[in-house]
Amino acid sequence: MKRGQFNFVWLFAIVAGGAILFLAVYGALRFGETAEFQSATEVAKSIAIITDPLQAGFAEGSFGKILFQQETRINNVCFDNGFGKNDISVATRAGVGEEWNLPGGATSIHNKYIFSSGVNSGFDYYVFSKSFGFPYEVSDLIFLTTDNYCFVNAPDGVPGFDVPNIEVANPSGHENLQAGDCDVDAVRVCFGSGDDCDMIVYGSCSSGCDSIYDEGIVVKDGVDMRYVGDLIYGAIFSDKGVYDCNVRRLLYRAGKIAEEFVNKADLMDARNCNTNLKPDLIVWKSLVENASVDDLASLRTMANVIDRKNRQEACGVW
Amino acid sequence: MVKGQMKIQQMAVMIVAVFFFFILVGLFFLGIVFKDVEGSAEDLQRAQAISSLGVIADMPELNFDSGESMTLDEDKLRIMSGEFGEDYDLFWPVASIGVYKVYPRFDEVEECPGTNCNYYEIYNPSGHENLQAGDGGYRDVKTYSAYVAICEKVRESGSTYDDCEVGKLVVGVRG
Repeated sequence: MKRGQFNFVWLFAIVAGGAILFLAVYGALRFGETAEFQSATEVAKSIAIITDPLQAGFAEGSFGKILFQQETRINNVCFDNGFGKNDISVATRAGVGEEWNLPGGATSIHNKYIFSSGVNSGFDYYVFSKSFGFPYEVSDLIFLTTDNYCFVNAPDGVPGFDVPNIEVANPSGHENLQAGDCDVDAVRVCFGSGDDCDMIVYGSCSSGCDSIYDEGIVVKDGVDMRYVGDLIYGAIFSDKGVYDCNVRRLLYRAGKIAEEFVNKADLMDARNCNTNLKPDLIVWKSLVENASVDDLASLRTMANVIDRKNRQEACGVW
Repeated sequence: MVKGQMKIQQMAVMIVAVFFFFILVGLFFLGIVFKDVEGSAEDLQRAQAISSLGVIADMPELNFDSGESMTLDEDKLRIMSGEFGEDYDLFWPVASIGVYKVYPRFDEVEECPGTNCNYYEIYNPSGHENLQAGDGGYRDVKTYSAYVAICEKVRESGSTYDDCEVGKLVVGVRG
C-alpha cells in the first residue's frame, strides 16, 4: 500500500468516525436534558396532584411530607389577575456546571393557594393546610416549606396543628419553659417579643376575637405583612410577593362566591326559603372583590357581622 | 480499480451503514421514551381527575354545607351551570364537569334548566355531547365519576329541612 493511500483512508475514517461520535455524544446530552426536563415537569405536576388530599377540607388542618431522593428546588410564581394561579416548577441539583439544572415545565394551579417562598430548596418538604373562611368557606390555604421554625411566646392554639418542623418555645401559660429551646438552625418567629427573632408577629385584634393574634402584622426582613385568622401562617411561610398575590386571589374568589350567594338568595326566596342577607352580600362582594392585604382588618369586622346574620337566618345562605 | 480505492469505498459504505443503524436505533429508543412520556402524562391526568372528584365536590362554589363532604347544593348547580359559571372556565383542574341526578332512572339526558331535567353541565368548554361516565365518555375525554348527594334547603309549614337526592358527579380528562 502506498503511503498516500494509507493516509487518506485513515483521514476519512477519523473524520467520519469523529462526526458520528460527536453526534452520538451531542444526542446523548440533549436526551439527558430532555429526560431531566420531563422528570422535573412530572414532579411539578405531581405536586399539584398530591396536594389534593392534603387540603384541609372540613378538617381543622392537615399535614404531609414530600421526600425527594435528590436536592430539589421548587419555584412558586404567583399571578393575581382574576382567579390567578400559582405556577409551580421544579429543578434538581446539577452534577456539573451550573449549580441547578434548568427547571422543568411549570404546572399552573388555578384552584389552590400555595404559600411559600418564591424559591425553596431542600430534600424534605413540609406541606400543611388550613381552611380559610371569610366569613364563608373560601378555600384551603396550602403552606409549603423546607425550613424548621420555632414559635417563641406563641399563644395557646398557635400553631393550630401538630407539624414536626414547627416547635414552640415559651408558650403562654408555661412561663417555666425558656426560649432557647429552639434548634440553632430554626427560623425564630416571635409573638410580641423575643430574642434573636427572624420575624415578629404583632397581634392587634381588639373585638370579636379569641386571641389578640386573630389579626395583626408579621414583620419579616423589615417588611410588614398584614393578616387575619389563619393567613398568619401564609405570612410566616411566604415571601411578601407570593403572600400579597395569594391574598388578592383569595379575596377575588370570596367576591365571586358572594356573587353566587346573591343569586342563590334569589332562588331561595322563590321557594319561600327567604333570606335577608342579599343586600349585605351585594355590598360585601363589591368591597372584597378588588380588596388587597391592607383591607383585611376592616373586612374582617364586616365578615363577622355578616356571619352572625347568616347564623340567625332560618334559611342560611351557607 | 486500485485496491486502495476499493477499500475506501468499502469503508465509506460501512460508515454510512453504521450511521444509519445508529439513527434507526435512536429513533426506536426515542419512540419508546416518548410513548412513556405520553403514558406518564395520561397517568398524571387520571390521578388528578380521581383526586379532583373529592376536591371539586367540596369546593364552596358547589358544596351544600361546609360541614358535609360529597354533598352538592342544587341552587349552586343551577347557578354554576348558567352564565355565571363561564367566569370559572380557567379555574377547573379538569376538562369537563357534569352532575347527573341518578334517581329516578332516566333513559334520556335532559339538560337543566328545564322540567324533569336530570343533568347540570358545569363546565364543558369543547361542547361535547352529554354522555354518562361508563358510556365511553366524550371523544378524546375520559370520564370518572363519584356518587354525591344533591341537596337544597326547603321551608314548609314554618320548618326548614334539607331535601336531598342521589346524584353522580362526572369529571373528564383529556385522554
